[in-house]
Amino acid sequence: MWPLLVFIAAVMVVVAAQIVLSHFLGQRHRERATGEPYESGIVSEGSARLRFSATFYLVAMLFVIFDLEAVYIFSWVISFRELGWSGYFKIFVFIAILLASLVYLWRIGALEAGPPKRRLREAEVK
Amino acid sequence: MILVWLILIPLVGGVVAGFVGSRNVSACRWISLVALALDAALAIGMISQHLGGFQYESSKVWFEEFRASWIPVLGISVHLGLDGLSSLMVLLTLFLGIIGVGASWSEIQERAGFFHFNFLWIIAGVLGVFLALDLFLFFFFWEIMLVPMYFLIGIWGHENRQYAAVKFFIFTQASGLLMLLSILALVFVHRAGTGTLTFDYSELLGTQMLPAVATWIMLGFFIAFTVKLPAFPFHPWLPDAHTEAPTAGSIVLAGILLKTGAYGLLRFTVPLFPEAARSFAPVAMTLGVIGIIYAALMAFSQSDLKRLVAYTSVSHMGFVLLGIYSFNEFALQGVVMQMICHGLSAGAQFMLVGALYERIHTRDMGKMGGLWTTAPAFGVAGMFFAMASLGLPGLGNFIAEFLILVGSFQASVPATTIAALGLVGATVYSLWFMRGAFFGPNERGWTIVDLNARELVLIAAFVIGLVWLGVYPQPVLNAVAPVVQSLEKMTQPVTAALLRS
Amino acid sequence: MTEAQFVALSPLILVGLAALVVMLAASFKRSNGLALGLTLAGFAASLVSLAWAAKVAPVQVTPLILIDRLALFYLGLVFLTGAAVALLGHGYFEKRAGYRDEFYMLLLMATLGAGVLVATTHFAALFIGLELLTISLYALVGYTRTEPRSLEAGLKYLVLATVSTSFLLFGVALLYAELGTMEFGKMVDLIRQGGHRETLVNGAIALVGIGIGFKLALVPLHMWTPDVYEGAPAPVTAFVATVSKGAMTAVLLRLYLLVGGAIPDSVMTLLSVIAILSMFVGNLLALLQDNVKRILAYSSIAHLGYLLVAFIAGGNFAPEAVTYYLIAYMATSLGTFGMVSVISGREREAEELRDYAGLFWRRPFEAGVFAAMLMSLAGIPLTAGFIGKFYLLAAGVDMGAWVLLGSVVINSALGLFYYLRIVASMYAAETSAKPGAAAREVALLGSATLAALALCLIWLGVFPAGLITLIRSAVLGV
Repeated sequence: MWPLLVFIAAVMVVVAAQIVLSHFLGQRHRERATGEPYESGIVSEGSARLRFSATFYLVAMLFVIFDLEAVYIFSWVISFRELGWSGYFKIFVFIAILLASLVYLWRIGALEAGPPKRRLREAEVK
Repeated sequence: MILVWLILIPLVGGVVAGFVGSRNVSACRWISLVALALDAALAIGMISQHLGGFQYESSKVWFEEFRASWIPVLGISVHLGLDGLSSLMVLLTLFLGIIGVGASWSEIQERAGFFHFNFLWIIAGVLGVFLALDLFLFFFFWEIMLVPMYFLIGIWGHENRQYAAVKFFIFTQASGLLMLLSILALVFVHRAGTGTLTFDYSELLGTQMLPAVATWIMLGFFIAFTVKLPAFPFHPWLPDAHTEAPTAGSIVLAGILLKTGAYGLLRFTVPLFPEAARSFAPVAMTLGVIGIIYAALMAFSQSDLKRLVAYTSVSHMGFVLLGIYSFNEFALQGVVMQMICHGLSAGAQFMLVGALYERIHTRDMGKMGGLWTTAPAFGVAGMFFAMASLGLPGLGNFIAEFLILVGSFQASVPATTIAALGLVGATVYSLWFMRGAFFGPNERGWTIVDLNARELVLIAAFVIGLVWLGVYPQPVLNAVAPVVQSLEKMTQPVTAALLRS
Repeated sequence: MTEAQFVALSPLILVGLAALVVMLAASFKRSNGLALGLTLAGFAASLVSLAWAAKVAPVQVTPLILIDRLALFYLGLVFLTGAAVALLGHGYFEKRAGYRDEFYMLLLMATLGAGVLVATTHFAALFIGLELLTISLYALVGYTRTEPRSLEAGLKYLVLATVSTSFLLFGVALLYAELGTMEFGKMVDLIRQGGHRETLVNGAIALVGIGIGFKLALVPLHMWTPDVYEGAPAPVTAFVATVSKGAMTAVLLRLYLLVGGAIPDSVMTLLSVIAILSMFVGNLLALLQDNVKRILAYSSIAHLGYLLVAFIAGGNFAPEAVTYYLIAYMATSLGTFGMVSVISGREREAEELRDYAGLFWRRPFEAGVFAAMLMSLAGIPLTAGFIGKFYLLAAGVDMGAWVLLGSVVINSALGLFYYLRIVASMYAAETSAKPGAAAREVALLGSATLAALALCLIWLGVFPAGLITLIRSAVLGV
């Protein structure tokens, strides 16, 4: 146990040292552009509060949905031999259902990386 | 089987009339008329056979019976039966049904198909009530007749029809549920005693139970029937419903629906609970007497003609209640007479008022007066039925009220004395009705068309009926004699006890 | 899993499969008709497989699910109702823009959840079924995404249902902690034997009761009902009012039969108070509404109060009475909300009372059916509702529960008043109707479904003997 504790303590010390030392040793200046965001030399415009496409959120959700199911597959794998063919068949059904829902998500455009195509499809339905 | 046809003919006729009515209004009127006439012919044929020239064969209780299984798991069957009392009620129903179709011949122009559908279904429901010998079946018909009546008042009624229709429906429904509770209680008490679950009237007769239980169960029946009758204090729905209903609706309400209440008391409340009914008699008689006097006073203070006639109904039904709970032959015979005669006289009065309304579009007596000069036949008819209503000797109502008072005198002298005052009240309001509508100067200058041929025929039928019953009531009395005698026997001790006191 | 178990479970499997098939079909060809066809095929297959399963019943499939006659009976009920909702939904969504196929998918999933509920004998399965049902319902209630009210209703249902489910879950956890089992039968036995912490168990039962009471919308857990019923698309409202409540009632009935009527007096008193409150609150608040969907929502609260009366009265008649009443209530609610969905126009639903003005003369068929449904709710003879009420009163009289019966009578009169208001507005003059609510075209499938329902109601009202025998055999099998 104790080597781990030592390691954690060492990490803490190093990180703390970096912060504290840079505070004392680092240079300070207060110029005209100091507070501005750095955009490769281009002066920034507009608000920083941009609207992001919800697709990112969707992808995150897909990840959660499909990744959670892995828990069940793990539990099956652990007792693979005890469950035998019956277990194999059941996990097969389970994965088939997952696949079917993946197909569904793919077809309704939930996997598209931007909004345009989905909008098009919605328009079609209308 | 013939009993089933009696109920089925109006049911089917109603459906046919309803479908035809949207295309051809007069065809639907004729269909209704033919259906009812056919039904009446059937009923008369059957009943005359059994009464054998109105001589009763006393060997059998029911001279026509029908029994078929319906819901065997709950001991419910389709059990219909006809005896003297129900034959008279069936004939009255069909008579007034035909009159009702005739009376609405020109009044109902809109949605006539649906109107006749409802009308015929009411008739079918009432026939069912008079024929049913299974308590579940009885309740079934009891409720079924209310729905079309609700539509009749609600759709074709006068200005305040919505209020009246809802009030009518809720009063009768809620009281009906009380009766259902009582029916169930009776059935379960019977099951506890005998182990069989049955709703059959003949088997439930003579069920043994504790007096307190019997009183409670009887109250459920009593309230349901006295709401329908109606007796004070359960009458508030009646003036509204009668006033707002279309003519045919009023005729059927006053002529038949009220009689189902009286019939229920005679057929169910008393025979099923003779002991309880006996001990309850003072209360019932008091209610009857209060009804007679109170309604007579109320009738006198009305300016709306239909409302006036409606209150006279309450007053006359007070006599029925008084008579039933006197428990002797005279009174019970009088009750049956009163049921029939009031059916005729009130029906006729409502028809007249309806015909008048069709012509002058008001029921307010203050706006009438002097109509005799412009429509003498109207006046004569009005006079005749006013006389019938006040109990003029020679007309059926006189026989009825006389018999009731003779009978009730033996049961309770004070009650009879006060009830007799009701006759004075009847004279006053009947004459008030005549004076307000037909006599005096014709201040508003009404000129109206007198009764036409169709109306004259209908009125004539009423007149013949009332005169016949007034001069020769024996057939009616013969027909109900067995029923009356068995009722009297059942409740004998009460008469003795009251006489002793 | 043995063959018998597989056969017994096949009705549930088939419904689940149908959901999957509809989903896959939707991903390649979007078509309202196709999805409906697949859904109906799924329900039909499950219904047929019920007969198959009946041959092997009763079968215990894992400790979770018991397929016995009661379960099979209720499964049939739930599937038939689900199919009717699908038929109603077809016409309703045909008129509206947006995705349609997912409705059927969610409907099948929700029905599957309800199916699990009626067959469960274990709290774990109860929870799974409940969640499957409820989660599908969140989406269904908020299905018309462009309608703010539908979304609001969906959100409201989400929050409140989640809270109530947590109560249920907490109760179950406490029961498990104390008794060490989640199977209904064992729990009842252990509680009967005693030797546990009384307060803890009672508290846990109360928590479970909250979860169940919420689903049944009994007072004081009824607050969500009017808003959700009003906001949800009409076919979904029909589903919430029927399948969701019916399945919960089946669970209650199963527990009731297990307990065998040996319920402590204090619980009985509490239940009586809840029943009476439900009746009065439902009916009195319904009197104040002008929105037909809200009126029907409050009326459904009252009806569950009536249903509870049969439970409380107990006795031989109780299980039959509950089931018959429930069937009558389900058929009727389906009919009334179905009617709302059939006569609704493109722009909005026909939910104001005045939208119904003159319906009798405009569309006599639909109005007649609607009137028949309302009469059934009011318990007028010739309809199934009457036999239901008759049964209820019979159960009450049998056990002498006079206070409850008295409130049933009073409430029937109250109820009549607002049912008649709707009927009256249907034959009133057609002047005050706001535009946009009336359907211009007749939804043939929906109307046919309603006609079948009406026939069914009248048939059950006039010839109830067959169904009673069937119910008896289902209930006595437990």
